[in-house]
Amino acid sequence: MIGLATAFVAQVLRISVPYALAATGGAFSERGGVINIGLEGIILAGAFGTAAGTLATGSPWLGVLFGVGAGILIAALHAAITVGAKADQILSGLALNLLVLGGTRGLLRLLYDSSSNSPRFEGFAPLAYVARFTGDAAVPGGAAATGPGAPFEGLLLLVGHPLFLLGAGGIILAQVLLFGTGFGLSLRAAGDGPRALDGAGISVSRVRAAGVLLSGVFGGAAGAWLALEQHMFTDGMSGGRGYIALAAMIVGKWRPLAGATACLLFGAAEALQMRVPSGVIPTQFLQMLPYVVTILALAGWIGRSTAPARLGEPYDREEGR
Amino acid sequence: MTSLWHGPRGRWAKCFRKGRGGPAGDRAALRVPDRGLDASDQGRGLNAGLRATARNALILSAGPVVLSVGLGLLLAAVAVRALGTSPSEFYSRLFTGTLGSVYGFSQVLFKATPLLFTGLAVATAFRARLFNIGAEGQMVVGGFAMAWVGFAGPVLPIPLGLLLALAAGAFAGAAWGAIPGLIRARTGGSEVIVTIMLNFIAVALVNWLLVTRFALPETVRTAEVHASAWLPRFSDHVGALRGSPLNGALGLGILLAVVLHVVLGRTVFGFSLRVLGEGATQARYAGLPVGRLIVQAMLLSGALAGLAGSSFILGYKRYYEGDFSSGAGFTGIAVALLARNRPLFLIPSAIFFGVLSYGGLVVNSIVPRELLEVLQAVILLLFIVFDRLLQRLPLRPRWGQAPSGDPAVPATGETP
Amino acid sequence: MVRGGRVSGWATGWATGWRTGWVACAAVFLVIGVLTGGGCTKKEAAKGDTYPVGLVFDVGGIGDKSFNDAAYAGLLRARDQLGIRFEYFEPGEGTDREAALRLLASGSSKIILGVGFLFTDDIETVAREYPEKLFACVDYTWTEGKQVPANLVGLKFREEEGSFLVGAIAGLVSQSGTVGFVGGMDIPLIHKFEAGYHAGVLSVRPDAKVIISYAGVTGDAFKNPAKGKELALAQIDAGADVIFHASGSTGLGVFEAVRARNKLAIGVDSDQSAVAPDHCLTSMVKQVDVAVFDAISRARDGTFAGGILSEGLKEGGVDYVFNEGNARWITPPIRARVEALRKEIVEGRVTVSSGR
Repeated sequence: MIGLATAFVAQVLRISVPYALAATGGAFSERGGVINIGLEGIILAGAFGTAAGTLATGSPWLGVLFGVGAGILIAALHAAITVGAKADQILSGLALNLLVLGGTRGLLRLLYDSSSNSPRFEGFAPLAYVARFTGDAAVPGGAAATGPGAPFEGLLLLVGHPLFLLGAGGIILAQVLLFGTGFGLSLRAAGDGPRALDGAGISVSRVRAAGVLLSGVFGGAAGAWLALEQHMFTDGMSGGRGYIALAAMIVGKWRPLAGATACLLFGAAEALQMRVPSGVIPTQFLQMLPYVVTILALAGWIGRSTAPARLGEPYDREEGR
Repeated sequence: MTSLWHGPRGRWAKCFRKGRGGPAGDRAALRVPDRGLDASDQGRGLNAGLRATARNALILSAGPVVLSVGLGLLLAAVAVRALGTSPSEFYSRLFTGTLGSVYGFSQVLFKATPLLFTGLAVATAFRARLFNIGAEGQMVVGGFAMAWVGFAGPVLPIPLGLLLALAAGAFAGAAWGAIPGLIRARTGGSEVIVTIMLNFIAVALVNWLLVTRFALPETVRTAEVHASAWLPRFSDHVGALRGSPLNGALGLGILLAVVLHVVLGRTVFGFSLRVLGEGATQARYAGLPVGRLIVQAMLLSGALAGLAGSSFILGYKRYYEGDFSSGAGFTGIAVALLARNRPLFLIPSAIFFGVLSYGGLVVNSIVPRELLEVLQAVILLLFIVFDRLLQRLPLRPRWGQAPSGDPAVPATGETP
Repeated sequence: MVRGGRVSGWATGWATGWRTGWVACAAVFLVIGVLTGGGCTKKEAAKGDTYPVGLVFDVGGIGDKSFNDAAYAGLLRARDQLGIRFEYFEPGEGTDREAALRLLASGSSKIILGVGFLFTDDIETVAREYPEKLFACVDYTWTEGKQVPANLVGLKFREEEGSFLVGAIAGLVSQSGTVGFVGGMDIPLIHKFEAGYHAGVLSVRPDAKVIISYAGVTGDAFKNPAKGKELALAQIDAGADVIFHASGSTGLGVFEAVRARNKLAIGVDSDQSAVAPDHCLTSMVKQVDVAVFDAISRARDGTFAGGILSEGLKEGGVDYVFNEGNARWITPPIRARVEALRKEIVEGRVTVSSGR
């Protein structure tokens, strides 16, 4: 029973990691006043970068760097278009999603001659201490064995996953950065009252661009997680996670930790969907849950979610708004 | 609630200043489209300065379209070259395959048909500066309702069956579109996010209905709709169109474009939407029922998107099939954008995207299909960037305060 | 309102947006260049009067290491052994299926193949319109009383029979007494795999527990490895030690799960042992490649006949993989038991139900 419960917790965590990372990225961008619908594309680019980087260099660490770099690249485009050229943020995000979806497909074909997935790569080995608890059988590469698995295996493997630890740390750091530092204050001001920020002699555009780039870092990391979990890139592997992350960000009221909590809720719904025997609750209804919860949050039925005041508005000092 | 519309603050007042000839003159001036200039203004013999402004307005509204499409096609040629295929062969195949034969062009028109509907849906909401990203979901819900009435409803005499099915589609789409409208009107919750979420909910909900209740055995489609609800397929009447899926939905779409041209351009309702688009506060000052208008705009937008499935469901396959929408709701945003939200311009814009869409298949044997997917995204990106950049040229209309934003590219995501 | 920029330097660049806008454009070009440059693809060169063949792929496309790849393998073998040339499409969306078939039919191709059950209606329509061309549809859906056009052959497989045998293997190899099944899209075609597998497990181990999961209810359920992995991990957590998947590239995730936990998976459609050599117990192979090859070969020889072609264990249309690689799990007694079951099915003494 306890074994099953920890297995469930481990699964919820595994599913939630990419959501939570991307939601944190979204919070950075939107706190600064830039809507980031392009999160979906950033995740996908991050996943592709990770796979291509790992396959090219043989090192998952470099792969993650490539993935985050790819996320930053797309975010930089978004920043240049929305903060630099002050073009529409929603349209830019939608177009970037399309661009990355088509682009990664094309690259998949060019680099790996497949329209569905990249070759497999090894990825991280779990940190050594995991084997001490579970024995060889639970460590990939060990002898294939039938029979029941070691207890707590799922949770231990997760705790032994370097990217899991980094990601969890990153989200806490993000919370601190946003709410406990001068930069965080500036960023929030860029979203809530850019005029005041400008008056204080700080460039609104630079602060906003920094927020968008940070969303590229976290979104790219979310993609890296996906690619490393599957040990490959597959076409369209972001699978709408960018939108779920946006939803979680809203339910979490644009705060990283609260957003991550919402992600855990969504992850739990998804894990439940896999474990509830079919026929009890139609899977489609569990699939809908994150979206319904988000709409309820926006409609004010479950804790009102209020966006940063100047979200979506280009800041133009000529117009002084 | 403060106004957070990033509307050009001065333009509303400016428009009032312009109209001097009593209520009728006011109306004429107020009907002014994007650049604060209307064709009818020209006809009334304006001075040279204003004519220059008219030319500038043309550059501002057509420039980004020409530049983005032209540059996009140029870039595609470069990419094709890099892929080791000759660009001339690529373009000759693309254009002969799509525009060079009656059959090919009919396929383009078939692809353009749902885009026309979703483009109209997006453009209508856009008038009020509402961002309807939910056309996809509205199309799915409307399409299913249409099919359901078509196969489960009563068999009616010829026009009635069709009208009932269309009404069902429009009604379901409108209902789906009303949700974000109501939330927006009541609480100010961003319609952008709500419509995105509703897209996913629509797909899951309809899928559940399909899989558990209505799918034929061994398939993911419903039964066929009654013949009384069919839209005519042109291939039944024109020999050259043999095998073409093009059908009467195209006519319906064009008709709706014309109707909307009138409704949005020449009626009090259309005018009110535009005022709302200028800013909620201004609209409120003008005594308009803002909340009701938002809901009405979304109802109309949803109804239009709900009809987008008619081409596939009542004209082509004549049943509902999972995944039938193939992203038309999203492409509709690009279509509306390039048409600058003008109903009549939506027709060429939809055809252009139809060419790219069917063209992807036509050139599939010499270049990867992804190239045209990327091309669509690139044109979109270039468009929104050029649209802002051209406004920074010293071209803008010189009266009053300069408008700060183009209605075609509104800033959104405004919040309570 | 303040007009004109007064702040100097870097910040002005951002704030005025002029320069940055162009930088943005340049960046867009750069990315496009990267995305589209890079490499070179060449299609099959058309030469001589070789026999022209057209093929349209299913969701997932080439490279899914499963269903589509099997069809592609048949196509490549036909090229190498029969000297055909081919043209193929990977349609992006539903309405493209018929259009793609039509493009091929109106071109030079003499036989046109559609890969996947979704093609059923489309290929019938096109086949009726082009009576001079030949058509074949893999996994064709045939319902009682339906008239198949004379120039169309519907290739069907009795997947439940092959699934029955791998189910028996799973039941015999499992130590925990719990085995899993991961399906792609929740549709009757996949229920055949499930039903056969379930019956096969119970035939050798009546007290066994079979956990059944599906990845989804849309076509995307065949290309969602992340979901496949989590479903398989959930089954492993619940005690499963052998998992059979019938889910296209979603199954790649199932293989990742058994790798991560050192359990065993059973592949589908193609021999999938290359995906995870140490964790692939066997594969329920569906000879899609053979069917594609045979259809092309018959069309070329003029021995093509329309109708339904249903292949099971008896005809060699489905089978399980046994070789040195998996002999470590499929020991001689197990093999003997499974072969006995095969004999019973081939001789018609046992019929495997195709529905649940």
